[in-house]
Amino acid sequence: MSSARSKMQDEVVTILDNRKINEKYFKLTFASKKLSRGVVPGQFLQLQIQPTFDPLLRRPFSYYRIKGERVEVLYEILGRGTGILSQKGKGSRVRILGPLGNPFSKPKAKKTTVLVAGGIGLPPLVFFAEKNKVDYLLIGGKSKAEVLPKSELSKVSGKVLYATNDGSYGKKGFVTVLLDELIHQQEDPRNLFVQTCGPKVMMQAVIDLARKYEIPGEASIDETMGCGVGACLGCMVETDKGLVPSCVEGPVFAFDSIRQSLV
Amino acid sequence: MTMNRPKQKNKEAKTPAAVDMTCRIKDLVFKNPVTVASGTFGTKDEYTSCVDYEKLGAVITKTITVKPRRGNPMPRICETPSGMLNAIGLQNKGLEDFIENKIPYFAGIKTPLIVNIAGEEENDFEILVKALHAHKKVVKALEINLSCPNVEAGGVSGMKKKEKIEKIIKTVRGETDLPIVAKLSPELGDVIEIAGEVLRAGADGLSLINTLKGLAVNIRTRQPRIANVTGGLSGPAIRPVALRYVYEVKKNYQVPVIASGGILTADDAMEFIIVGADLIALGTANFVNPTATMDVLRGIETFCRNQGIMSLSQIRGTFHVPPRQSCWQ
Ligand SMILES: Cc1cc2nc3c(=O)[nH]c(=O)nc-3n(C[C@H](O)[C@H](O)[C@H](O)COP(=O)(O)OP(=O)(O)OC[C@H]3O[C@@H](n4cnc5c(N)ncnc54)[C@H](O)[C@@H]3O)c2cc1C
Ligand SMILES: Cc1cc2nc3c(=O)[nH]c(=O)nc-3n(C[C@H](O)[C@H](O)[C@H](O)COP(=O)(O)O)c2cc1C
Ligand code: FES
Repeated sequence: MSSARSKMQDEVVTILDNRKINEKYFKLTFASKKLSRGVVPGQFLQLQIQPTFDPLLRRPFSYYRIKGERVEVLYEILGRGTGILSQKGKGSRVRILGPLGNPFSKPKAKKTTVLVAGGIGLPPLVFFAEKNKVDYLLIGGKSKAEVLPKSELSKVSGKVLYATNDGSYGKKGFVTVLLDELIHQQEDPRNLFVQTCGPKVMMQAVIDLARKYEIPGEASIDETMGCGVGACLGCMVETDKGLVPSCVEGPVFAFDSIRQSLV
Repeated sequence: MTMNRPKQKNKEAKTPAAVDMTCRIKDLVFKNPVTVASGTFGTKDEYTSCVDYEKLGAVITKTITVKPRRGNPMPRICETPSGMLNAIGLQNKGLEDFIENKIPYFAGIKTPLIVNIAGEEENDFEILVKALHAHKKVVKALEINLSCPNVEAGGVSGMKKKEKIEKIIKTVRGETDLPIVAKLSPELGDVIEIAGEVLRAGADGLSLINTLKGLAVNIRTRQPRIANVTGGLSGPAIRPVALRYVYEVKKNYQVPVIASGGILTADDAMEFIIVGADLIALGTANFVNPTATMDVLRGIETFCRNQGIMSLSQIRGTFHVPPRQSCWQ
């Protein structure tokens, strides 16, 4: 915990690129030696939207991709903060604190690694599938509008499968339909290792399935964050270690350590 | 012109004399006025990578209660215009854990530690003060939280009874000679009147202000945005309110005041010092800018130097209202 803290840096960076990559997502790129060093998939950063403190609190975003010193963040416009962020052009400066939090654990030998992403839970899992050898990346979204351009997934290891709520791309239904099918293809589902990030409802469905078939795994829990460093006690998660701040003890938690319903 | 100056003077110009930033509560002297508001700086070393704790004037802890408290359900925080609502609910690991695990950490830091305490039951304050007084080497003052908006017992609702507040301060006073500061919020009622009561009961100073109760609505679900329904509003949104109370209280009582309420920058801090604040506590600012305390400290010094002020006492409480001029003449 404190070792992660001692590595965190707060830096003003210059935006190199900030563009829409499909109907739904924006990609922000900046370069920083300090904010890219030693970053592993699952970690996040806290971005101050405006130097004027309005909006006031920083917004947490996952690291999407690191290429040398270049950092990419994939985001969706959800409210005022992300709306303002989307308007910032090349050359704008923003203050960022990172890297924060604990990452997803590395793939386990003799386990089939399955990544289950929903909506904007995708970035850390794409990062993970580029850095590690994984078997499946299951992606769920509302419609085709969310589907990433092929170029964004070209370096991803493993088989990529889509499910959309309206059936406009890939399988019709929730991403858990894909996971359920995969489970039923297994001789022993317990050989799977599931790592998930996405809306809480989706992750709860994944955890329920995993519990039913005794599949181990990890979820990146998205709690509203104030500080990102364990000071405000705003982002608590009930675990086997008690009520802990997800920004420093998580955001990634093992399924069997989670002692609360996410919904 | 510069070329003609004697060498000695040139040297002095390069290293200007430090601004005297000291302030005090009773006999306790602080090297500078910059501190942190209770509950916003973690419980131990959360900000060590961004803040040199020894440069702070003081460290104020999150509220400690006798028994551990789990606090309120999630979501506990949300952003509002220029502020945030929080309903943490005084989550803390209790007195025993504090003494065992936190005091030894602060024993190694040469900055006065002010411990913020709250009681849930009748004799809690007595237990807390006795236990903390025994650690006088580390605990240099007590801040009595009379004003948390998010808890039932010991919170703002229970404190609305004047006799209760008076009794608490008298109890604390009876158990310690450490400086004691009462933390108030407008939620308690008339701040000026209550300030008078706590001072008469034996408080050495005041901490102004704790958060104001607020509400935020998710218009899609038509539900509150935090699980506790209401929460304490903090951040720049409450700064003018805090400033007004510090000003009015200082006008009425010449006692030390720790100011908190939306202080983010050195300019904000100067406003409070000008109306009379002794210490400046940064709260929500730490979440927004983890180096806020250090930036404010440097900023105050720079401001004073640029204004030719060599001691903060020269500017503290110098606020004055110009004579009124009629528009109709
Ligand atoms: C560890 C972590 C990693 C994240 N990674 C990413 C990412 O890579 N890309 C991305 O687009 N988003 C990510 N998020 C979510 C992101 O923080 C929110 O989308 C953002 O804070 C919304 O800000 P806003 O000002 O636009 O919205 P606001 O105006 O604050 O809120 C608008 C809507 O966003 C929701 N919201 C606010 N805060 C959060 C939050 N922390 N999580 C989820 N929803 C929230 C609100 O409930 C509301 O419905 C992550 C969140 C966490 C905790
Ligand atoms: C997340 C959070 C937790 C807080 N916890 C406490 C607390 O435990 N005890 C207390 O006396 N005040 C607490 N406060 C109030 C602050 O100490 C401070 O008085 C208030 O937030 C106003 O200052 P600010 O606007 O700079 O944050 C808390 C405030 C916040 C935002
Ligand atoms: S965001 Fe403040 S404790 Fe996690």
